[in-house]
Order: sequence, then C-alpha cells, then structure tokens
Amino acid sequence: MSTPAIEVENLGKSYRLRGIAKSSLRDILVHGWKKQQTEAFWALRDVSFTVPRGSSVGVVGPNGSGKSSLLGLIAGTITPTTGTVKTHGTISSLLELGAGFHPDLSGRENVFLNAAILGIPREDIARRMDHIIEFSGLRDFIDMPVKSYSSGMYVRLGFAVAVEMNPEILLVDEVLAVGDLAFQMKCLDRIRDFQKRGKTILLVTHDLTTVEQFCDDVKLIHQGHLVAQGDPSDVILTYLKTYMARIGHLNVEEHGTREVEFADVRLLDENGKEATTFTTGRTMDIEIHYRAKQPMDQVVFGFSIKTGNGFFIYGTNTQIMNVPVPTLSGDGVVRLKIEPLSLMEGKYFLSLAIHSWDHTVHYHRREDWYPFAVKSESPAHGIFQLPCKWQIN
Amino acid sequence: MNAISAVITHRELLWNLAARELKLRYRGSALGFLWSVLIPLFMALIYVIFLRILGGRGVPLADIIIGVFAWQYTVQCVNAGLSSITGSANLVKKVAFPRIILPLSATLANTITYAMSLIVQFPLVAILFHTTGQHFNPWIALLPIVMVVHIMFNLALALFLAGINVIIRDAQHLVGILLSAWFFVSPVMYNMDFVIAHVGDHPWAPKLFLLNPLTVIINAYRSVITADVPFQWELASYVSLALIGAFFAFSYWLFKRLQKDFADLL
Repeated sequence: MSTPAIEVENLGKSYRLRGIAKSSLRDILVHGWKKQQTEAFWALRDVSFTVPRGSSVGVVGPNGSGKSSLLGLIAGTITPTTGTVKTHGTISSLLELGAGFHPDLSGRENVFLNAAILGIPREDIARRMDHIIEFSGLRDFIDMPVKSYSSGMYVRLGFAVAVEMNPEILLVDEVLAVGDLAFQMKCLDRIRDFQKRGKTILLVTHDLTTVEQFCDDVKLIHQGHLVAQGDPSDVILTYLKTYMARIGHLNVEEHGTREVEFADVRLLDENGKEATTFTTGRTMDIEIHYRAKQPMDQVVFGFSIKTGNGFFIYGTNTQIMNVPVPTLSGDGVVRLKIEPLSLMEGKYFLSLAIHSWDHTVHYHRREDWYPFAVKSESPAHGIFQLPCKWQIN
Repeated sequence: MNAISAVITHRELLWNLAARELKLRYRGSALGFLWSVLIPLFMALIYVIFLRILGGRGVPLADIIIGVFAWQYTVQCVNAGLSSITGSANLVKKVAFPRIILPLSATLANTITYAMSLIVQFPLVAILFHTTGQHFNPWIALLPIVMVVHIMFNLALALFLAGINVIIRDAQHLVGILLSAWFFVSPVMYNMDFVIAHVGDHPWAPKLFLLNPLTVIINAYRSVITADVPFQWELASYVSLALIGAFFAFSYWLFKRLQKDFADLL
C-alpha cells in the first residue's frame, strides 16, 4: 500500500577498534592521522529490510549481535558506515528514558528539560504536567532533585514524559527490563495502545515471550548479519536452537565420559515428523540414537524438561520407572514417548542424560540442549495442563 | 544554512539546556549570580596591585575591569565548550538532535551571564571614571557590535574544542596550559599603552600583540567604553578580525565533519 515506515538498505556499521579505545595525542604523534583506521569491527553488515507502516517488528539476537547498533542507526544517533536508512514519519525512541536528566534539578525541571530533548512542545508539557506527575506516581517527590530518587522512580518519570510523545515510529530498546512488574505492565499497555493507533513499532528485547505476543515479524541478528526474519514463532525457535544453545545464554552444557553417547536425537510430533513445535494434549516422541563404544551394562537413560526461564518442570529416568535396559553395544535407538504432552503454550528445554546405575559415572549429559515450543489450542493459562473436571450441582 | 534551520526548530531545547546550565551554576550557593561579578572583580583588584608592584606602572582600574570581565567570558566559553559534547555522552548516544545545540547552549548560557555582569560592570566603571576624571565614550552605542564579534569568536572556540575533545581527550589538559599562556599575551591586566611603553623600542612588537584576536576584542571594548582611548585601526587589527571570521568558518566546518562519529567515540 503506502510507503513503508522504515527502509534499510545494505546497512553496515563498522567501528574502528583504535577509535573505540579513544585516540590520544600520543597515538597521533606516533602513528599519524592515517594509520589509525586499520582495524575495523563490523557491528552490522549488509542488512536490508523494510518495515511496513503500522507493523510491529521484534529484533532478537544474542548480546553483542548488533541489535542496539541497528536501533541507533534507525534513530539517527549513529551514522552508518555503508548503506542507507530511510524513515518516513516522526520517530521517537523509548531507549532514552530519563536521558539528560540532571541529578541536581528537580523532577519538575527535568520533565521540561527531558521534553525539550524529546521534542515535545513546552505548552503541551505544561498542560499535561498533572497527568505526567500522576502517571509517574511521584506527586510527593516532584519538586525534589532527582538525585534523591531511586532508579525505579527515575525511570518512571522518564517514561511518563516519553509517553507524551506522539511519534509515527516508536523504537523500544529493552525498556521492559527495568522497573517492577506494575511498571512493565504500564509499558506494555502503552505499546499496545500505539499498535491500536496504527503506529509502527520496532522492539529490541531479550524477552522472547513479549516479542511473540506483540510482533507480526521478527528479525534475528547474529554477528551483525540478518540471519532470519518472518513469523515470530519460527524465528524465535531458530534463534533458540541455533544460537542460544551454543552461545550459552542459557545454562547449556554437555559433558560425560562418552563411553555411551548420543549419536543423534530427533524430536517427532504425533505424525512422526521431526518438529520443533508441539501441541498440548498431543504426542511428543523423542528418538535417541546412541552409540556404545564398548559393551555397557546397567545403563540409565534420563530426561528432564525446564521452562524457557529455567524453571524445572519434570524429570525421570529408566531406573526410576523400572525400565530394564539391556547390555548396550554398538549403535541403537531408545524411544521416549510423552503422551499426552501436558505442557501449555511456551518455550521449553529438554535435557538428556545417559549415566551409570549408581549415578557415579555420567556417560553423556546434554543440559538444556534441545529447545522446543508448545502451542496450545485452548485459551487456558499456565505451564502445565492439569487433568480437571467441573461439577456443577 | 541547514544548521540555522535546525537550530530554529530546536530552539526550545537550546533554551532549556542553557537554562539548565545557569540554574545549576548558582544552585545551592548563597551569593548565586553575584559570584559571576565578584570573581572578576577580585581578580581585577589582585592584578592592579601586583602590576603596580611588579611593573612599576599603573594601568587604570577601569581598563582592567573591562579586560577581566571579557577574559572571564572567553575562559568560561572555552571550558563549557570543551566539555559540551563529552559531558553529555548519555544524551549524544541516545537521542538524535543537532549536535551543534550543545556547544551553542553552553555559549548562550555564558553569554547571558556575561551580559548580566556587564550591567554591574557599568556603574562600577562610571564610579571609577568619576574618581579619575575620565568619561564614557559616545561610541559606546557600538558596544553591541563588539559583543557580536566577541560572541562569534567564543562560539568558534567552543565549536572547535567541543569537536576536538571528543577525538583527542588530551585537549582538555592542553587547553589549561594554553589558557594561562594566552592570558599573559592578551591585554587583560594591562592595556596597549602599557605594551607600547614597555616594548616601544621594537615598533613591530605591539603589532604582534594585535594579531591575537582577543587583544583586538578587548581593545575594542576599551575604546568604545572610554573616551580618548583610541582603537588601533591598522593592518594587524584587520588581520585579527579576518582571523576571527576564518576561525569561525573552520570551526563550524570541523564540527560538522566530526559530529557523525560522536556517538561512536563517546
């Protein structure tokens, strides 16, 4: 339809490593001006995409992948090294909550200063002052210098001013990570409000649940490259599978003596097809291909499942369940069938282990190695589907 | 040109930042703005006493007061300009707005202080004139023109140092040394009569002094304020004025060139 809100073409940003370390007069005297531009670090490279007006786009990726650089480039605080960013419409970001607050000025004075920085006209702010004070919940403190504020109060005041902006494009960078739950709710409400009014939103966060809830499109950035984009669930799963497990954002680890090891592990859905997304109440089949380097007796296979934020849900093994395991030698397959899968919608991690009968020797353990998602067809809440019945007399 | 329109659209930010600077400067001090007048006054007194002891020659106190107030204004602009970008790293990294607003607001705040201190300076000068039998010059009407040149020069310094200090952090230390040297070669605690009397054997020496833009600015202040103090209408003065224009253009160009890397280097 109309022109897109954001057009990014071949965007690249390189930092001179020497430049980052700040040049000193000595460097210049010793090396001269020219010599300094040798080593370059590409924070972002060859990124191209367009964001249609009115859409909400999430940007995910491991720490240091270039997400914040991308946002800075779109916001205009950073100058691109290569390529172009075109934005259509006024742009504001929630990445500068309380930027420019001065500790010695009162809350009220800082509101005016902050508004000027964000480009909100003074009359608007003066008229809305009461509302801002109310929203921030700082009525008793508004005339005190902000150096006496707690960090939460500081951010709340910053947010109260920021929401007075009325941009067409809103950039949000990890705002949701600060503040208490009530504040986060307010933030999310406000973002929803923006969505309803047809504004374009670009959201950078590590909170994948939020991304999945809010965005119609997700960009996955890794080492400065745009590696995946599209449907939120798919991209998030790719992210979890490809990067999180390897980079150690989660407590992922693998160890063991490897006398028996996992050769291949497949997660299969109710149709016997390899999958990463499963459905509540259906089947999840785990096909474990093992390899025993020598004949092994009294081997135990175990598994456990954790939620995306590390909460331990369930774990058991062949020993607890009295499943006899014969002497293993060579290659073989062990199947674990979870039916019905009573997990509710969300992201989960599967850990697998092969260990000795007395738990003293771990042959092979893979902690949180296999991420998977569950979709629920019911609007019920929670992480676990409890078998339940209503009885109404 | 686009810088001017950008400044006009962001004038509210410019005022707010300048107001912040001024509010913070006097917050919590009992004498507040008075310090902006008292400090140069005390300095003027110290200079006049020492000059009499060391130089053996008197310089009218009114001249020294005019010189010290003008010098203080430039020093304040140099220091504020120097840290205008590096001191607002948080802002520069997170918010997109014309960077020139920062050195501009720093200069604006100091210009306001200077203008207010002039209001105190004039009655003082009038009293001194009364005791020495000197008079105000009717050309004092041209004072705004002298101030415009002075403001332009100080803004050029602020722009130049704001940009340079981001790239080379040694600048702030160097500037401290250069300022003390500059103080002694500028006619702050002495005047041109003093220079001519001391180095009169070398006719080119006073001309060398005039190549310093600040000398020409301070001379101009004294000439338009005090009757019978001539302004040196000679080549060296014109060169100095041209230097101010060229330095302004260069500083502006340099700042524009450097500003795109500010967010990366802070």
